[in-house]
Amino acid sequence: MTSTPLKGSDLTAGPLADGTATSVRPRRLPRRGRSAPYWFLVPAVLLFAAFTVVPIGYAVWLSLHKVQVKGIGLGKGARQQVWNGIGNYTAVFEDSEFGHSVLRAFGYGLIVIPTMLGLALVFALMLDTPQARSAKFARLAIFLPYAVPGIIAALMWGFLYLPTVSPFYYLLREFNLPQPDLFDGGNLYLSFANIAVWGGTGFNMIVIYTALRAIPQEIYEAAKIDGASDLKIALRIKIPIVLPSLVLTFFFSVIATLQVFTEPMALKPLTNGLSSSWSPLMAIYDAAFLRSDIYGASATAVVLALATFALSFTLLRISDRYTREDRA
Amino acid sequence: MTPLTLTAVDPRTAPAKPKRTALVPTLVLILGSLYCLIPVIWVVIAASKGRGELFSTFTFAPGTGFLDNFKELSSYRNGIYWQWMANSLFYAGGGALLSAAVSAAAGYALGRFAFKGREFVFKLMLAGVLVPSIVLTVPQYLLLSKMGLADSYWSMLLPSILSPYGVYLVRIYAAASVPNELLEAARMDGASEWRIFSRIAVPMMMPGLITVFLFQFVGIWNNFLLPYVMLADDNKFPITLGLYTLLNQGASQPALYTLVIMGCFLAILPLIALFLVIQRFWSLDLLSGSVKA
Amino acid sequence: MSIHRHQFSRRSILAGAAAVGLTGTLAACGGSDDSGKSSGPVKLTYWSWAPNMEKVAAIWNKKNPDITVTVSKQAAGKDIVSKLITAKKAGNAPDLIQVEYQSLPTLVSNDVLADISKYAKSAKSEFAEGLWAMVTLGTDAVYAIPQDSGPLMFFYREDLFKQHNLTVPATWDDFAKTARAAKKALPNAYLTTFSSNDPGLFAGLAQQAGAKWWTVQSGGKWTVGIDDAATKKVTDFWGGLVQEGVIDNQPMYTPAWNNALNKGTNIAWVSAVWAPGVLVSSAPDTKGKWRMAPLPQWSAGESVTGSWGGSSTGVSTDTKHAEAAAKFATWLNTDPEALAALVKEVAIYPAATKGQSGSVLTTPEFFPNQTDFYDTAAKIAATTAASAWGPNVQVAYDTFSDAFGTATKAKKAAQFDTALATMQSATFTDMKKQGFKVTEA
Repeated sequence: MTSTPLKGSDLTAGPLADGTATSVRPRRLPRRGRSAPYWFLVPAVLLFAAFTVVPIGYAVWLSLHKVQVKGIGLGKGARQQVWNGIGNYTAVFEDSEFGHSVLRAFGYGLIVIPTMLGLALVFALMLDTPQARSAKFARLAIFLPYAVPGIIAALMWGFLYLPTVSPFYYLLREFNLPQPDLFDGGNLYLSFANIAVWGGTGFNMIVIYTALRAIPQEIYEAAKIDGASDLKIALRIKIPIVLPSLVLTFFFSVIATLQVFTEPMALKPLTNGLSSSWSPLMAIYDAAFLRSDIYGASATAVVLALATFALSFTLLRISDRYTREDRA
Repeated sequence: MTPLTLTAVDPRTAPAKPKRTALVPTLVLILGSLYCLIPVIWVVIAASKGRGELFSTFTFAPGTGFLDNFKELSSYRNGIYWQWMANSLFYAGGGALLSAAVSAAAGYALGRFAFKGREFVFKLMLAGVLVPSIVLTVPQYLLLSKMGLADSYWSMLLPSILSPYGVYLVRIYAAASVPNELLEAARMDGASEWRIFSRIAVPMMMPGLITVFLFQFVGIWNNFLLPYVMLADDNKFPITLGLYTLLNQGASQPALYTLVIMGCFLAILPLIALFLVIQRFWSLDLLSGSVKA
Repeated sequence: MSIHRHQFSRRSILAGAAAVGLTGTLAACGGSDDSGKSSGPVKLTYWSWAPNMEKVAAIWNKKNPDITVTVSKQAAGKDIVSKLITAKKAGNAPDLIQVEYQSLPTLVSNDVLADISKYAKSAKSEFAEGLWAMVTLGTDAVYAIPQDSGPLMFFYREDLFKQHNLTVPATWDDFAKTARAAKKALPNAYLTTFSSNDPGLFAGLAQQAGAKWWTVQSGGKWTVGIDDAATKKVTDFWGGLVQEGVIDNQPMYTPAWNNALNKGTNIAWVSAVWAPGVLVSSAPDTKGKWRMAPLPQWSAGESVTGSWGGSSTGVSTDTKHAEAAAKFATWLNTDPEALAALVKEVAIYPAATKGQSGSVLTTPEFFPNQTDFYDTAAKIAATTAASAWGPNVQVAYDTFSDAFGTATKAKKAAQFDTALATMQSATFTDMKKQGFKVTEA
């Protein structure tokens, strides 16, 4: 298999640390075939326009309006859609509850992301150790939660958090240890984070492991000759090389944790310690579907989207700078 | 640091390793596996407990009610659970198939052609990933409702087809595994672009396309938010939503915990089976976007 | 081979895509449309979440081959309201809808429910005044036909009460005394719990105390009075007991609560007439050990109760067959055969007065010891106080869950008061924001 240095314009940064181009970059086609790529793109572009661009546009449009009730407010013609300018947006920023939900999402992220990626990295490194037994079994076992739908995982863990059912509480009772209320205030973060970590570590582990496997053996040999221990090899060689993969998984994890919805929704009926707008997405869903205020909900959603964009750009910039320095 | 030239060669051509087991890695892996398997094991055991046993017996002691629970779930409301299962298969299978097809075409175009606006289109599509799902789902619901498509099978399929990650994967794959020389030769022979695509490119990109299919299949199968927003008639629910509603039936309805747990157990079987079976001719590693020889 | 065969203009590419899009939309729209023929067979869709409603509809379909009703089962109550409003916006609302009483003003405000007074005048006499008022919203219009009701009553563990010499409370003062006595006799148990996850129950208790959370005068002025004297009385009562520790603070309808009922750490339940159906699966080991009594009163000798839940059948403004739909709605909720089926298959307690007595309502299997269960229930149902719902009930309910959730967890009566105040201000502000002419009580 030939190997060719990566050309930046061919591929964007990503987990593909080891992809190769089999030949030089594609040439421009002769005139007769010029429209071909456009044709191939039509389905994707169509769907993108219909299901991404238009909804976003519609959401923005809705966010600039509100409903106005006339008269007694009952019967035909009672409600009218009127222009509201940035009224909904000021409401979002004045809503302390929404601010709290964003902070909660951040707090949740602070627990989930390091834990999940840390575990994924550790497991990947362990899998990469030649003398580790049960590697094949572990790879499948740890990946398994990916095949469990999030809501089902949350329901299962919800049961496991119940003092009457859970084996953990059983053990705690046997050893006379304090039994924490997993649905209480601060513990909620841990309860949700556990579900997310359980579900997401496997996939990230595979991504990192694949990058590890692409590292050529010669590098290890050189390091071993220099007398480096396994741990040192891991820290000084492996981790830096898989950094692009880590960055990508980090990036997607941030986006996912800001959108935490399934775990709190699934566990809400089991406790009275969870407000209906615990996470930003819950607040949006609540406004749109329970309070029938799609205008306010749209404004909140747009604000959330912009915040996510801003965060993603910043992270991309930082990671770009960091990995570019590395390659220099 | 010296610049690295990375290859896709499997580097495991080292000389024989010592036979002793590395204890720490093995232990860590076993603990990790246990952590990941415990809820699954619990579900299997809990699914075997009858209503009276569920909350009163020791958690890991198997019960006697497995068949009863199964029968009760199957007959609940004339077997709606199996309808939900069929719906999930339809949404996931159909959606993933369409997604793979659309991604194949788009990724091929982006990866093997140079044309004006290529990077712009690609980056724009990727940016779609950044938009929080609910920002899209609620307006999608409103728009589909205007077209009379809300609460229909279409409302579940259409939004799930386009996968930016799928397009990205296929683009990488196309660039890496479909040689330009082959394409040029075919063009010189006078083959149409469509022919080239379907007869030459697609077979060569097949591992990548299967990856996209699997990735989308799992994504759609696991999706909760989309059906939660789009669907009202519970004959169209997928398993995720169906099980959730079984548990949240309102104040005057009895709780159906045993059914929910049996339902959870049955719900996780298909995907697990899928991954176990597919191990034989597809590698988990492909999910990450790597291109193996 | 012609070179130009492949040379499509961009325009034709776009035209093709547009054609596809159009065809798709047309195909989708073709499904549900009924061409407003007033003669010929009529097809109606009925959105309902009550289990087994199809079986009742089947009875009608057999008798009325020219009007076919198809039931579409929806997920439970509160999510449906928004889906209906959105469907209405798109002109797609179903012909018949199961609507909870508290959602009626919201739906009427969004012009989802049609006025069927023209077709349903005869139904008025079949229902108690209070119930009928809930579907007319105090106007001359009729927006739905009442289907079932949930009058509140007191359920208690007869065996444990006897064993520990506890008195069945006739007033709320007695209730407090019994709660304390129960705590003394059974330190690990509670008389019952206060659940912040069930705003419907709280609303019913306030209703019993005489609260009117929303009122509207002619001229279209609304008044929001959630923190009126009656509701404050109820709030302080329960807040005090929770703080004292004699009433539990856990939410209902959780595995933990089921366990409490089953094992006897919750020995009573303030609930509605449909409680036996829930107890069957929540506390299966306690069959035959419960008894039902009227709800405790605020003053001795009074006889009034509230209601928890209950729904009605409405006709949407999008229907093309209002008369046929109204006919079905009336039949469903007043015809003896339909009522019998509703009781047997759907397991509801009918709102129609004639449905609350008679042979169909046999002793609930979970209460074999109380053969006059439904006779007592009918008497209690007749004493239901009028309720007063407004156009943003869900906002009030949401705020209740959040605010009272914190208060209940903290077990502080003072926080119960602030929670009620929060509920009031949130509801008032929301109505104001929507443009209603509204004042605070």
